[in-house]
Amino acid sequence: MDLNYLKKIIKMLDESNLAELEIEEEGTKLKLSKPRPKIAATSYPVQFTGQPVQDISPKPATETVEKKETKPQEEAIPENVVEIKSPMVGTFYAAPSPDSEPYVKVGSTVKEGTTICIIEAMKLMNEIESEVSGKIVKILVENGQAVEYDQPLFLIEKI
Amino acid sequence: MIEKILIANRGEIALRIIRTCKELGIKTVAVYSTVDKNCLHVRFADEAVCIGSGDSSASYLNIPRIIAAAEITAADAIHPGYGFLSENAEFAEICKDSNLIFIGPEPEQIRQMGDKIVARNNAKNSGVPIVPGSESPISSLEEAEKIADEIGYPIILKAAAGGGGKGMRAVREKSHLEMALQIAKNEALSAFGNDDMYIEKLIESPRHVEIQILADTLGNIIHVGERDCTIQRRHQKLLEETPSPFINDETRLKMEEASINLAKSINYTGAGTVEFLVDKNMNFYFMEMNTRLQVEHPVTEAVYDVDFIKEQIRIADGLEISKKDIHLNGHSIECRINAENPDNNFMPSPGLITAFHTPGGYGIRLDTHCYAGYVIPPNYDPMIAKLVVHADTRDEAIKRMLRALDEFVIEGVKTTIPLFQKILTDKKFIEHDYDTNYLEKREEIEV
Repeated sequence: MDLNYLKKIIKMLDESNLAELEIEEEGTKLKLSKPRPKIAATSYPVQFTGQPVQDISPKPATETVEKKETKPQEEAIPENVVEIKSPMVGTFYAAPSPDSEPYVKVGSTVKEGTTICIIEAMKLMNEIESEVSGKIVKILVENGQAVEYDQPLFLIEKI
Repeated sequence: MIEKILIANRGEIALRIIRTCKELGIKTVAVYSTVDKNCLHVRFADEAVCIGSGDSSASYLNIPRIIAAAEITAADAIHPGYGFLSENAEFAEICKDSNLIFIGPEPEQIRQMGDKIVARNNAKNSGVPIVPGSESPISSLEEAEKIADEIGYPIILKAAAGGGGKGMRAVREKSHLEMALQIAKNEALSAFGNDDMYIEKLIESPRHVEIQILADTLGNIIHVGERDCTIQRRHQKLLEETPSPFINDETRLKMEEASINLAKSINYTGAGTVEFLVDKNMNFYFMEMNTRLQVEHPVTEAVYDVDFIKEQIRIADGLEISKKDIHLNGHSIECRINAENPDNNFMPSPGLITAFHTPGGYGIRLDTHCYAGYVIPPNYDPMIAKLVVHADTRDEAIKRMLRALDEFVIEGVKTTIPLFQKILTDKKFIEHDYDTNYLEKREEIEV
């Protein structure tokens, strides 16, 4: 496939109102499609099927080892349940000290501003407060686990 | 020996560092902001930690979060890349206090060169020619006027805490001084949090030539040639090459010697670059020293066969520089391809890249974090890729670059590729008849 030819076709499609273009000649088939632009790309929109197949996207690495993020739960969260996410990077502790009772358990009731856990970073203990009043539905991380920014920590059902 | 490095940066340089680490068997940790979830460095590192929201102050400039990320991943060293915290002495200090190796010079060395006024004095004291100017921050308009009169117009106002071309204003007449000072101070305060200003003579028709330095902790300090970065727009480099087509061998030797003397005078360790302005009579003047790796390091890597990241890690490990005898081989040019529209005043053009076909073949190197389907976020610098060519001669390098630019297909965002195609076919460029005002002059002609 002649690169200049390809460039011209892409430009043509880009500048037109067409969503899709399919060309077949001399045993080569070329199909170009142009979906509506999205803000967050989750796929590689422009598909080339022709000779040779050109895969210009990088292969995502076989899921890299030891990614410390916990994947958020796949089931949809009910509307009155709020995810409390980590506002910082550090180590999650459920209790104020190794011998104490944890701040909260599943079923505990909390008010907005109640301390629900500690995140430790650079030798400093940071008390993390609940953003809402409600009942702890689920604790998503374990004591001593490393957490990153925005990592979901608790599910709280608003009362 | 360092076993795990956290890269406190993003984009192409983060990828660059990860690549060498992989080859050396060193584990890597990427940190990223929420808008950089799909950035390539996150995928290629062994581990990744989200450290904050898109705003740089909440993420890539946020020292506690970066240190915390190093703690939870048990990294033993941090590589700061360029920009962001790479020349932040406080960060280097905190790394030390947190038992983390900062891959770069000592905090004190960063301080000596970070404050531009202190740096000028250091240069003066080690016999490096400096541009005539003020010895200390100017305290008043009256003082500014007095110094400007002494030096003689045209002069340039510069931010003491500055860099990257911000907080600078050229002044050609006394009547413009007051307003220029006001504007420059505001810009400096906003960009660096510090509005201390100093004055320098404005060198007419200058070329920007810099010397690369490498120094280990065992007493070896070498230069690794020069780079000519004269093609700039608003003090931002666009194209760099080595060797410089402008300076002669005598000047070259003097500049190399001056740079090594300066590095020795502050017991410098690590990679660093001493930047000079060279006037049409081959007089060279110290501008500043960058105590970090430069964006344009690949052109030096090409002609001297060096891996700077590897050398930086060796130095951080207390080992010797692996290449003490350097040999120049050929010519190299780099084009910084940005997501900007050269036909619309370089308006940034972030967004979804819909097609990305990269150039290849003999003598081509491409450092990029972009790919088809990637969304260039608006929060950071607009760089898409660094396209680097290596050839036997400058003429061949120019032809090779033009060939590569022709192959480079980027759709979905505007890029500065057409600008480079114009520059590299311009007679003035080919005959190296230009100075740092080249692009501004062209813009006038073109309009």
